[in-house]
Amino acid sequence: MFRLIPIPILLCFVFPGAGLAKVVDETEIDQRVREIAKTLRCTVCQTENIWESGAPLAHQMRQAVRERVIRGQSTEEIRAYFHSRYGDYIMMEPPKQGINWLIWLAPFLLLFGGGVLLWREVKGWVTRTPPHQPPPALDEAARRRIERELHENQ
Amino acid sequence: MTRTTQITILVVLLALLSLFYQGLWGDPRHIPPVLVGTRAPVFEGPDVESGEPMSSEHYKGKVILVNFWASWCQECKVEHENLLRLYDKFKDHPEFVMVGINYQDEIPKARAYLQRYGSSFPHMQDVKGALAIDFGVYGVPETFVIDKQGIIRHKWIGPIVDNVYANLTKNVLTPLLSDPNPAT
Repeated sequence: MFRLIPIPILLCFVFPGAGLAKVVDETEIDQRVREIAKTLRCTVCQTENIWESGAPLAHQMRQAVRERVIRGQSTEEIRAYFHSRYGDYIMMEPPKQGINWLIWLAPFLLLFGGGVLLWREVKGWVTRTPPHQPPPALDEAARRRIERELHENQ
Repeated sequence: MTRTTQITILVVLLALLSLFYQGLWGDPRHIPPVLVGTRAPVFEGPDVESGEPMSSEHYKGKVILVNFWASWCQECKVEHENLLRLYDKFKDHPEFVMVGINYQDEIPKARAYLQRYGSSFPHMQDVKGALAIDFGVYGVPETFVIDKQGIIRHKWIGPIVDNVYANLTKNVLTPLLSDPNPAT
């Protein structure tokens, strides 16, 4: 039966998106705009970069990035321009300087502090646990009783 | 766990909580104004009402008040009367200029807005929002004051009302206009 189904139709069932897919024609300029825009924060939406944001200001910022890329400015020049207008706030990654070091180092310091605390606590538990003691030896009467019960069960 | 360790943990937790508290309840208008104290960008564009080209180069050596606004902005309507009042107060000073920059707007709507609420000072179009980005604008309304040397001396995010109006006229514009230093 499968022989009756032409291969292109079969492929459409196997890869349903293939029939709808378009060729993405991303120029070098588009690529640079995307790369730069992803490093800049949308100033009116706070948690998105200007590439992903749908806000009008983000759209205008993407346009400004594009115009500067076309003018031949380098990535660092474009980022420096936005930084000069909006400060550290516009950078998706805060620059590693001054008080910003706190943001970069605090998670590691907290992780280290938590690790030290955990290690000390676990060490305390181990120290407090009494060492393994061998069970007391059986007296003669008990040993005979166990042997008798074992014989009775056989 | 020793008493010193317990106190250290408590101090760290309190410091983190105070940071969160500051982040949650801080005034969003207190964004560090990075442009204050730096040279103002040159701004140019067509006049909203006449379409004639305008440029900040014509205002060199003067104290310039720049107000970003839009017809769709509710807070701009709240401050508009104060802006007209402010212009009336200083318009006769030979070194005072006031410019409105119309942001992300449709020109017919902007013109209708000015006709309805009044217009006594010139307004520039910023349809593509490029001027707003040059000034590091987050939204409208935002107001900047540029001194005679072309340096941004004041920025306010939000409407010019009540104490903000009083502060702007008394503590910002009046001292800058009476500044004897010549423009550079």
